[in-house]
Amino acid sequence: MSVASRTIAAIPARTSTRTWKAIADLLAPVGSPGRARLEAVTSVAAILITAEYTRQAPIVVIPATGSRVRIRTAHGLDAIEAQAEEIPLAVSPCSEAGWTMSLPCGVDDIEEMRAALAGYPGIEVRDVTDGITVGGPDAEPEPAGWSIDYEEMERP
Amino acid sequence: MKTAVHVNTATYAAIHVATNMLGNIRSIIKGSGLDPGRIGQDWAIIEDGIATWLGSRHLKAVTLEVYDPRKRGDDLVGRFDFTIDYGYYPDGDGDLWLDPETIAYTIRKHGAFPASCDYQIIADTMPGRPDVRGWTTTTYRSTAGFTRHVVGTAIGGGSLGAALSYYTRSAN
Repeated sequence: MSVASRTIAAIPARTSTRTWKAIADLLAPVGSPGRARLEAVTSVAAILITAEYTRQAPIVVIPATGSRVRIRTAHGLDAIEAQAEEIPLAVSPCSEAGWTMSLPCGVDDIEEMRAALAGYPGIEVRDVTDGITVGGPDAEPEPAGWSIDYEEMERP
Repeated sequence: MKTAVHVNTATYAAIHVATNMLGNIRSIIKGSGLDPGRIGQDWAIIEDGIATWLGSRHLKAVTLEVYDPRKRGDDLVGRFDFTIDYGYYPDGDGDLWLDPETIAYTIRKHGAFPASCDYQIIADTMPGRPDVRGWTTTTYRSTAGFTRHVVGTAIGGGSLGAALSYYTRSAN
């Protein structure tokens, strides 16, 4: 299983809502069905970004095909530094149907956020303290082909 | 515990104060037993307005007004104000900070509202503000019979400070 990781600058480089727009820009082109799904959950995502859960653990995107994507947000001084270092993905993982997403959430907010996402199948919240193994079509080890994500390995 | 970082840009300060003010209002709503779902639905609109008017220096205060819809007329049951001071740090040294303990103290002191209560968020702005989609004009409910309690500055950034105060009904 290969993984692509990205860090997106959040507060104070961007408001929480604009941070989610920057993440959506990374994942799906404007006007695509996937983009509409992402925009529909803007408020939930913005609240999770404001609470900095997305700094503590990544947003995990499992596309229908291709590499998983992990996205973290940078806050404070890290955000200002990260803004100049944002790198687009080679492909838009949410442009094709069939993708799923897991958003990190604190235990105090998780029931509220699950209820808010009830009408949005394929987008869910997980406890921010859980690991980042999320079920999906590429969750099983692949018999051949792998890559090392050095950036992810360097994370504490 | 107060946390701080240092930058030197008014735009960063406005975003820091705006988004964290909204996050703290949500904390007060949850901590006071109110339904956070409504602020969640309107999050993007509220944040856009607060950030825009802070950036243009038209924002005077953001208020969480709590009322009991079962009452007619005098239905205010509580109120929380974040009052903006554009000269809180005259030298504008660039620190960005927030003090969660100020919010936690306020929630502890104020206590919870009955589950039947509802709320609205009001931005008090100066004339000439830019329009922001989703906002409409309104007036404050009367605070006659209430006492205002000043807690202190909860969020700071650049030259900006956001001071928190709350209202409780005065003893008869």
